Amino acid sequence: MAHPELRTETVDDTGLIAAWQAGDEQAAAELVARHARALARYLAGAGAPDAEVDDLVQETFIRAFRGVGRFRGQCQFRTWLLTIGGNVLKDYGRRAGRRKVLPLDESVQDVTGDPHEHAVATEAEARLSAGLHVLPRLQREVFLLRAQQGLDYEEIAGALGTTPGAARVHYHHAVKRLKEIVG
Amino acid sequence: MNAKNGDAKLEALAKHLGASAADRLDVDAVARRVLAELRQAPVRRRTWIEVHWLRIAAAMVILVGGGLLVQQMIPDTDVPGQHGNHLVADDLGDLTTDQLRDVLDRFDEMVGGTTPLLDSSSDLRGLDEEQLQNVLRSIGGII
Repeated sequence: MAHPELRTETVDDTGLIAAWQAGDEQAAAELVARHARALARYLAGAGAPDAEVDDLVQETFIRAFRGVGRFRGQCQFRTWLLTIGGNVLKDYGRRAGRRKVLPLDESVQDVTGDPHEHAVATEAEARLSAGLHVLPRLQREVFLLRAQQGLDYEEIAGALGTTPGAARVHYHHAVKRLKEIVG
Repeated sequence: MNAKNGDAKLEALAKHLGASAADRLDVDAVARRVLAELRQAPVRRRTWIEVHWLRIAAAMVILVGGGLLVQQMIPDTDVPGQHGNHLVADDLGDLTTDQLRDVLDRFDEMVGGTTPLLDSSSDLRGLDEEQLQNVLRSIGGII
């Protein structure tokens, strides 16, 4: 396949989905280009091993495109995609038979700046990663959708099939627990 | 750490989580692999007709299955004698008048001792074929 030429931002996700359903492969490539990195961040944050992120992103998109007929616009396409990613990760965890703690990636480290500050940040990030793994899945997903992806409760509730109030409660439970862990 | 600072710190950390994995992701390669996979096993879109046929088939399965279930649950309601009547009626048509009389005579001999099904004064010789058949059918109804 040739290097995909990205479309202008004027075509929204819904338009791209419709175009892809009509047989336009380029529209699918554009959707991947728009959302793959956010999905990768979400998966890695939710505990996907670094070496598996590419494959899990790929699997998530394939599953999403195959089931796109079920997307009713109850939330943004990206949010829906992230929830599918959560299911893909869960299935991966079952297959792997274990849950891996996201290893701290050396490349994350900012080599500039104060080494001490950097070490403290790195340690806190590692603790957050570990803390996310001990949270119930719903709390972890709500926390990541809210804190990492910046979504509002309404959007989160639409994606997870719950109410904004319930999403808010899950978020606060998650924050409370993570504060204890991160310190 | 106070509550607000704690929340802000957590959110800052969360935003940073997975950043390296996202940076390393080869988006074009992912797109190529996704499209290749979708080409190999394209999404099969169900047509309106298919959907309705599936619904009809499901309804048929439910109806047939339900019918069988009901049939098994309801006890056999055959009235004794009805089945016999049906057989008698089928068989009588093949018999001649003499054979019919013979059947009645034998039947009378068999049961006459204890249960007089036929009136002793009745003269079978005077009955024609149709009347004999009616007598036999009525006996079938009795037994």
